[in-house]
Formats: sequence, C-alpha cells, structure tokens
Amino acid sequence: MKIKKGFILRVVGGENVVVPVGELSKQFHGMINLNETGAFMWKFFSEEHTIEEAIDALCAEYEVERERAAADVQKFADVLIQNAFIE
Amino acid sequence: MVYEIAGLRVRIENKYEYTDAFCKEYLAKEQNLPVDIIAKVTDSEMEAEKQASPNFSDGYIENICLYRSLCLQIPAFKRMLMHCAVLEYEGKGYAFLGKSGTGKSTHTKLWKRYLKTPTMINGDKPILEETENGFIAYGTPWRGKEGWGTNASAPLCGLCFLEQAKENSIRKLTPSEVSGRLFQQILMPNEESAAIATLELTDKLIMQTPAYLLRCDISEEAVKLSFEALTGLKYHY
Repeated sequence: MKIKKGFILRVVGGENVVVPVGELSKQFHGMINLNETGAFMWKFFSEEHTIEEAIDALCAEYEVERERAAADVQKFADVLIQNAFIE
Repeated sequence: MVYEIAGLRVRIENKYEYTDAFCKEYLAKEQNLPVDIIAKVTDSEMEAEKQASPNFSDGYIENICLYRSLCLQIPAFKRMLMHCAVLEYEGKGYAFLGKSGTGKSTHTKLWKRYLKTPTMINGDKPILEETENGFIAYGTPWRGKEGWGTNASAPLCGLCFLEQAKENSIRKLTPSEVSGRLFQQILMPNEESAAIATLELTDKLIMQTPAYLLRCDISEEAVKLSFEALTGLKYHY
C-alpha cells in the first residue's frame, strides 16, 4: 500500500497538515489534519509498505501493544482507501 | 504596465482598461527595468471565473484573475496573500481576520471611530512578506468591496480573529488553534514549490506573531479589548 504522489506533509503551527499539489489538487480540495501517529503512518505509507510492516513500525516507534497498533493501522488504512489516497 | 506591489516589480498584462485605473496608484516610475513577476490571465481562467462570478464585467473578472495570478507567484519571494483587514496604529500593523460576515469591517470601523490615528493598510487582501525582522503587511490595489486601503506597509505585530458574541471577551490563541483558523484565510497554490513555500511562511507567521480570539459585539468595549491585547497599551475612554 502506498499513498499517491502529490501530497505535501508539513508541520504548521505545531499541527501536521497535508495539502494536495499539482494534478492531485484538482481531485482533492482542502487540507488534512493529522495527529502525531497519523503523521507517522502517513510518512510510512508514502513508501510502499504492507499493513503488517506498518504495525511493526508503529510498535517500535511508540511502544504500544500489538493489538492496539493493529487497530490503529487498520483504521488509518481504511481512511486512506475510502478517500482514494492510495495508488 | 509595470507596478510596484508589496516591494516587487510586477508587470500586469491586462486586456481591459479596468485594471489600468484600478492599479494606477501603484504604477512604477521606471517602466523599463526588469520585473520580478508577470501577472497574466488565460482564456480558461477567465471562463472559470465568469462561471463563479456571473453578472460582472470582463474587466472586473480579468482583474480578479490577475490578482490570483500574482498571488500564486509571490511565495517564491517570501510573500503570501492573507484574507484579512490590516490597520496600522503608531507604526505597527494589526490584522483582523474572520469568515465573511463576522464583522471585520465593522470592528475596524470602530477602531477608526474611537482611536484617532489608525490607517487602513488594506481592508481585504493585503500581501505579507517574511523578513529577518518579522512579517510586513503591504497594501495592494485589491482592497475589498469597501475599497479601504493605502499604498503603504507596516510591520505585522498581531493577529486578531473575530467572532460575534453577546458579551465581549478576548483570549490568546495557541499556535495549533491559529493553524486551524488561518488556513481558511490564505491562498494555497497548487504548484508544488509555491505550496511548500506557503506552508513554511504560514508556519513562521504563526510562530512569530501573537494571535488572539476576540468575541465581540459592536461596542467601544470591544475596541478596548482588542486594542489593549494587540498593542499592549492602555485604552483611554
């Protein structure tokens, strides 16, 4: 799973903000706000990775239980898919 | 013709006379030196704007498109458009922001009524520049339906977001609160490098400029609250 090219993630005023640019900005309007783990997963899925790899990465980064990490990653992946952010 | 807008030399390539008169205060003395930016409008941009703003003259439509063309190019020059009203008081600029209809015009009118010397830098669409000493707000020919504005600039020393309320109150906003509110008031370019520059400028603006939320009616007390918070001075009735 990989997020489409053409989104920019930046910290603005302490908030993680994603905006579409170029061709993608015709398809998506507005901006996306992410919390800290959301931003972590966004960056992770900016490269091709599986859900399992994301769970491993989240566990390593935040020392959370695997079950909790799996739920978070699945929820995040669902949002990416529903919004057609995935290549 | 070449104009000097927000410290930049801008060649505006308009077809309709409307913009000649509109921008005449900003005409550059030197017409033949190199320019920083060329503002121009394509036919498809004209068509899209006509759809969005029917019942306006072609000159007016072109004029709106020209400002957008200009503003989409300025992030490379550390500048950005912010939808707000900027008043200058004793050498410092203060920006008032809010969704349309929340009382920017009304509140700035109250400042003019109760405080003797504020100057309206721009009532609607000033350009901000990031410098080593903070942000500067510039007046531009585009100054909203009231036409309030001056060909002048001031260091931007505070942001004041407005909301209507029955009782007056003011509080400082955290950077993340400002972030959520400010994005509604800036022009985000689609072109990647300009978008990145705009995000970075917005971050610096938020981190460097104190910001307040004023919940207010249309009384003098509302002016006292925003004046004291923004300027740090005592208000005298």
